Amino acid sequence: MRNHMDQIPLRKLSLKSRIYHQRYLLFMALPALVWMIVFNYIPMYGIIIAFKRYRIIKSIADSPWVGLANFKELFTEGDFSMVMKNTLGIGFMRLFIGFPLPIIFALFLNEIKHAGFKRTIQTISYLPHFISWVVLGGIMMNWLSDAGLFNEILMKTGIIDEPRFFLAEPESFWNIAVFSDVWKELGWGAIIYLAAISGISPALYEAATVDGANRWQKMMHITMPSIMPTVSIMLILAISGILTTNFDQILVLRNAVNQSASDVIDIFVYRVGFKMNRFSYAQAISLFKSVVALILLLGANQISKKTQGHSLF
Amino acid sequence: MKINRNKPDVFPKVNALLMILICFITLYPIWYTIVLSFNDANDAQMGGIYWWPRVFSLKSYSAVFANASIVNAFTISVLRTVIGTLTHVFFTAMTAYAFSKKRLIGRNIFLAIGTFTMFFNGGLIPFFLLLKNLGMLNNFIVYIVPTMFNFFHLIIFTSFFRGIPGSLEESAMIDGANEFRTFVQIILPLSMPVLATIALFHGVWNWNDFFWGVIFVNDEALQPIGTYLYRIIAETASSNMKINMPGAISLKAVNSQSIKLATMVVATTPIVLTYPFLQKYFVKGVMIGSVKE
Amino acid sequence: MKNKLINVFALAIFFLTATLFAGGQQGDKDAAPAADLDPNVPGWTLDTSPVEFDWYLHFSWFPNQWGVDPLSQYVTEKTGVDINFIVPAGSEAEKLNTLIAGDQLPDFITIGWWEGFVNDMIEGDMVYALDELAEQYDPYFFKVAVPSRLGWYEREDGHVYGYPNASYSPEDYERYDVPANQTFLVRKDMYEALGKPDMRTPEGFIAALEAAKKMFPEVNGQPLIPFGSHEFGDQGSDSFGKFLQDFLAIPYEEADGTMKDRFADPEYKRWLKAFNDANNKGLISPDIFIDKRAQMEEKIAQGRYFSMLYQRTDFASPQMTLFKNDPDSVYIAVPGPSNSKLDDPTLAAVGISGWTVTLISKNCEDPERAIRFMSYWMSEEGQRDFYYGVEGVTWEMVDGKPQFLPEAKEMMDTDRPAFDKQHGANQTFWMLMDNPMFEQWQPAPVEPFKQMIEWTYPYTVSVSQYDNTEPTPDLDEGIVLGKVKNMRGKYIPALVTAKDSAEFEAVWNEWQQKKADLGYDGVLEYQSEKLEINKAKLGL
Repeated sequence: MRNHMDQIPLRKLSLKSRIYHQRYLLFMALPALVWMIVFNYIPMYGIIIAFKRYRIIKSIADSPWVGLANFKELFTEGDFSMVMKNTLGIGFMRLFIGFPLPIIFALFLNEIKHAGFKRTIQTISYLPHFISWVVLGGIMMNWLSDAGLFNEILMKTGIIDEPRFFLAEPESFWNIAVFSDVWKELGWGAIIYLAAISGISPALYEAATVDGANRWQKMMHITMPSIMPTVSIMLILAISGILTTNFDQILVLRNAVNQSASDVIDIFVYRVGFKMNRFSYAQAISLFKSVVALILLLGANQISKKTQGHSLF
Repeated sequence: MKINRNKPDVFPKVNALLMILICFITLYPIWYTIVLSFNDANDAQMGGIYWWPRVFSLKSYSAVFANASIVNAFTISVLRTVIGTLTHVFFTAMTAYAFSKKRLIGRNIFLAIGTFTMFFNGGLIPFFLLLKNLGMLNNFIVYIVPTMFNFFHLIIFTSFFRGIPGSLEESAMIDGANEFRTFVQIILPLSMPVLATIALFHGVWNWNDFFWGVIFVNDEALQPIGTYLYRIIAETASSNMKINMPGAISLKAVNSQSIKLATMVVATTPIVLTYPFLQKYFVKGVMIGSVKE
Repeated sequence: MKNKLINVFALAIFFLTATLFAGGQQGDKDAAPAADLDPNVPGWTLDTSPVEFDWYLHFSWFPNQWGVDPLSQYVTEKTGVDINFIVPAGSEAEKLNTLIAGDQLPDFITIGWWEGFVNDMIEGDMVYALDELAEQYDPYFFKVAVPSRLGWYEREDGHVYGYPNASYSPEDYERYDVPANQTFLVRKDMYEALGKPDMRTPEGFIAALEAAKKMFPEVNGQPLIPFGSHEFGDQGSDSFGKFLQDFLAIPYEEADGTMKDRFADPEYKRWLKAFNDANNKGLISPDIFIDKRAQMEEKIAQGRYFSMLYQRTDFASPQMTLFKNDPDSVYIAVPGPSNSKLDDPTLAAVGISGWTVTLISKNCEDPERAIRFMSYWMSEEGQRDFYYGVEGVTWEMVDGKPQFLPEAKEMMDTDRPAFDKQHGANQTFWMLMDNPMFEQWQPAPVEPFKQMIEWTYPYTVSVSQYDNTEPTPDLDEGIVLGKVKNMRGKYIPALVTAKDSAEFEAVWNEWQQKKADLGYDGVLEYQSEKLEINKAKLGL
């Protein structure tokens, strides 16, 4: 399967002739390098404001250094442990529930044989992705209210006798956040796996059918291994993104009484950083988040490489 | 297994039922949105509408289309989405193809540089200053060039390209094609599922994005539909500082929920409709049909 | 090699953009000598050639454009000034941050006076001193500007950088009936059915809520909400953070003239306890902590609240809906929570600071025309144009006095957004509106709003001297104040929902302690110093 060209012992050649040899490949790769330097790396000097006290009317260079004061403030902030707890709680739930469901959905959808039916489901399932959380949040507030859809259903079916104020219960918030997100992004999240599945050779299935494999065996021994590289990549990225929550969603669903469960890092940055125009503090928090994410990425990538043989690159 | 041969297979039926259920719970909120947008705004305020408009009215839609700038915003969005997505997909895929070759000089350094960009950025202000110095502010090009590349998408492309059998490329190379020609003539046609996926990801982002139109553009004529939509739906969310406002101004009614939803329906329908067209690239195994392992 | 490539690429981008980029408009202005300008001649009449200004509004909800309606077309024709409004959708702070940091401020900026950005722009030397511009280009400005407003906005360097709209001086309060926005409201039919109970004491308040819930358990099949308040955010709720204190007549300063923590007063605590008791009797619905404005408006339109501590101007559309269905189901203002001495409420209304300030940026290429346009708008002629609109379209002369045409008036009262687009008059463009000047033109308020407005007249007080005392976020005190404000969103709901008196006391004490630990005293000290300066400015 691997490209044979990779195995030509080019390393024995001099650098100059290697460059000449690869001139077309380099021509294809270098523009992106330049692009990254211009659009990603030049603005990166902004990171240093995490160690400064920056005001927008002064340049970053002119702002006074404060050392690690912003980080110190973050880690001693009274709410910090609560914020971390919520971030990780929602993060792990998303990882354990929100990550596998689109894969399962894609696998099941793949079992639908009728092409028109399959396409219809696929299209419908991705529609909620297009409803902005600003709007959806309003709709959910209506449905979760005391006289709303959920209470009506639960009361009529006799599961509860008293209407519940779901959004006023801190203990319900993680569930609401995770499951509404899963619901909204299920079809959207499945797209990448459907693309991977459609790359599988029909010949493999045919051969398996001849060998007498049933549906489950084909799913487990052909489909799953074929999409495993994609699954691994998405899992590695999901693990590294554990501290990232759905900001727009939580912003509209959080309120004064559920905030002990809904204050997550992204909200915290917004609340104590941007809303109070404290850029340096906000940058310090996001830098902390970035470092954690990078470490998680490298760690997950290593583990995946060792155990699965799949890695990001 | 034996079970299959002896008992009737119920799985397809159960599966179909499950899918229909999923469809129902995803479709209902969309239906609800559409129903409310077609209901009279004042009546909708009273709540209690779930299945069908109570007082049918097209007023909200005529209000949406009455605004002349919406046509212009659509034009900008279409241009932005088409040009932006084509350049993004081609540029990122081309880079990813080069990166998928392990022999590429400096590959590991490139990858490290790229990985870093997924996590670290200098924040909005340095980025704004950069675009200012490049002369991209208030310029249509701001929608294209600064979003031309994305390292996450490169990773997805790379993993896909690595699955393409090397035999195909080899035969092309033997015919005297260079890597760029091989990429354009052999690899791209084989990669329709992943190209369609990334095109969808980036295209939808491009269409929905409102932030760039707010921050990097002042000119109303350059504002995309996403910005236009966000202005309308976010209106009440940002109105809490009105407490200092003298009475007469806040007496002006804000846009009703019906108008917000109608705007949303109008603004999102075009992009939603592109999916069924892209879908044909997912359903068939385009690539392998032509290849023998 | 890499560097070369970068350069080549950057150059390529540069040329590409340079060719695509349509160069900014260059205003050819002939610098007029300032010396021989007559202060009695409005500067704007000297040059009415076309000029376009970009005008940034720090209010993302502003829905109108310039040049669509007859009024703005008329003003452009008259003065030559065309305006392009820049309105950020939803992301005001990010937009203005980038405009400031990138030195990209447009010609005019209109922003709430309380925003830290105002100070940033002035300290960053990014805006013109209006008095200097006026001296140089348009002495007529001093004729139309109200001296007390200029005095109020004069900075330590002796210059004025922004001019307010909707500014009421303490004297205006004696001259006119200034309405306040804060009201305690009840549903008229329920209140009357209950025999108009006295709700000024905690006992009376709770008893009334209880009686209302008993008599009207449901409204249209949905449970009655006995009490409603403004939405809760990170910094609490306006109802519990400003309105309640105003109703309890809690002063802003101590007897010795220093600033007071209005969230520590025993009267305030007494009423929070009352709300807590009401909550434990099941009379406070969790709704009030969950709902945002959109949900509240829906519930008001359904008439589901019995009482509310709410801004009367924030529910015009639902009030209208109720009024159309049944004029008896509307909300009316009645005496609400009062302190233990049953003092009249002290409702703070707009003061000398007004609502917004408008500044002219140093990026403005034609400051001469800019200051002249500002003077025009501030003058009585400009105010009348912006108030009445175009003659024959929106108003006509009746007995020597301008009067709105009946169709226009009808539209103004019933469909305000349509009126704004079709006429553009009556404060559609409010950037420099002068409300005290409108008093001579203002038509009498109509029901269902009249009762609420008139109810506030006797209780309205001027609190101008307390405006603009808060430390900006770039100062240490500003950071502390920010944290103190953020605590309100956490502690006030915790107090209202405390399980019993012991928990209430514990939470209250924790809150007061935390404020002290953060160093809130320092903030109050800072504010007291500012207060001294303000009092001197106002001659109090």
